[in-house]
Amino acid sequence: MSDMEKIEVDALVVGSGIAGLQSALDMADQGLSVVIVEKRPSIGGKMISLSKVFPTLDCASCITTPRMASVSHHPRITTLTYSTVDAIKRENGVFTAAVTRKPRYIDEKECISCKRCEDVCPVYLPDEYEEGMGAKKAITIPFTNAIPQLPVMDPEHCIRCGACARACPKDCIDFLQQPAPVEIKAKAVILATGYETTPMTAKKQYGMAKLPNVISPMAAERLLAPHGPYGRVLRPSDGMVPGSIAYVQCAGSRDKSIGVPYCSRVCCMYAIKQAILLSGSLPIADITIYYMDIRAFGKGYEQFYNNARAMGINFVKAKVARITEDEKHNPILRIERQEGSSAPEEVKHELVVLSQGLRPGDDVSRYGLGAELNDFGFVKLSDETVSSAVTAGAGVFAAGVSKGPRDIPDSVVDAGSAAMEAISYIRKL
Amino acid sequence: MADVKKLAEQLKKLNELRGPVPVELRDYVAAQNKAQKAILDALKDGPKTPQEIAAAAGLPHDKTIWYIAGLRKYGRLADVPAKGDWPKYELKNSEAK
Repeated sequence: MSDMEKIEVDALVVGSGIAGLQSALDMADQGLSVVIVEKRPSIGGKMISLSKVFPTLDCASCITTPRMASVSHHPRITTLTYSTVDAIKRENGVFTAAVTRKPRYIDEKECISCKRCEDVCPVYLPDEYEEGMGAKKAITIPFTNAIPQLPVMDPEHCIRCGACARACPKDCIDFLQQPAPVEIKAKAVILATGYETTPMTAKKQYGMAKLPNVISPMAAERLLAPHGPYGRVLRPSDGMVPGSIAYVQCAGSRDKSIGVPYCSRVCCMYAIKQAILLSGSLPIADITIYYMDIRAFGKGYEQFYNNARAMGINFVKAKVARITEDEKHNPILRIERQEGSSAPEEVKHELVVLSQGLRPGDDVSRYGLGAELNDFGFVKLSDETVSSAVTAGAGVFAAGVSKGPRDIPDSVVDAGSAAMEAISYIRKL
Repeated sequence: MADVKKLAEQLKKLNELRGPVPVELRDYVAAQNKAQKAILDALKDGPKTPQEIAAAAGLPHDKTIWYIAGLRKYGRLADVPAKGDWPKYELKNSEAK
């Protein structure tokens, strides 16, 4: 055990989405040493895969990438990507985290990110970064602006042909690499574990993820991204340009039957944003949003919604009871209007996006840090009226969606709050 | 470049540790190679839509567009400016030879 990597810092940040990045930067800029542990191969979280943000329609990666670069170059921030936090315990005011660096099967210090290994690999796999719509290789750099620019090998799908090793100019491929334990000691912990969207299978009436042209909002983000899987908006069943697109709101929120009775806060706005972007990409397409009620709660959001209406996007107050498809995989929505005629009717579209809700990205109660969870698994604050980051666990703070659904501006603001609370706590020790 | 002897030793040890490469995985890769070749062959006589490629290559439409996305990403296909409901693709110069 003598060669176990040991890191001693002021603060540990779990998660490197926009909240984790911002809180790490704020603490490091105040002179604290910080380590970020990220389970994915790149920092950046969900935000780096978005096309644009609402209501400004700024490019999401133009906002995220500078923060990612700042974190990776900051002299007081250490980042451990493709690593899992297995346990955290607190003794005498010091947190000790047991972390495992998962093997990438390459020598990270020698790799020059030339991608030759990826180019010659003969195995194509569904690319999770593109929500399965694009392809990656069995050894791949996760995406164009990933940080670090290091490939990861999928050992389960490697055919051991050795092509990657023969192509590598630095002799970096290590087929026998093992997981490496890391011990981190820190004075405070910030939980920025983010979210997962409710699964496409959450509502059995909506096709159980088996209808190829009923897609997730993250898939729609990738279709709209400049470097998306097809380089343009096409439907996944056959590559046709869709002429009629529908959004089904509250497809994973405000629904006790799927265990998500709360409003996920961002679905109305991301659907409106995507509809506006789609109307730019596909000017003659009909775009319809089926909604219960529009919750445009933030600064400039109501104006954004009104702009969408003015641009010709159809807002239909209706609940979608069921989604099926015809023989050409065109989704058929059975709807009941909430205004005018309420007789059930069936409407055909060429592509449907289910506006999924947000649920916790991790069960942080497994760490036993004293940070309590609310009824839905999000981190509970000790007193929301006093602080937006302090949990019941001493030295444990929460940032971003780990506390509950919120949008990007709110996540950034309270990441700063979590950083300030952590700094204040550490300075009092 | 990798030391050939070292690579052979690593792969041998890997086979000992994990057993042989599963037949299903070998079949999966063989089917991929066949499908990609069919798509590239289908484009040898000029640009085509995904529908036309699927028909010429004898592949399901969803698989065809997935392979097109992969071949496009790795520089073997290129977009062709097209109007209407269907995009068109052509071979990159290096593939067309």
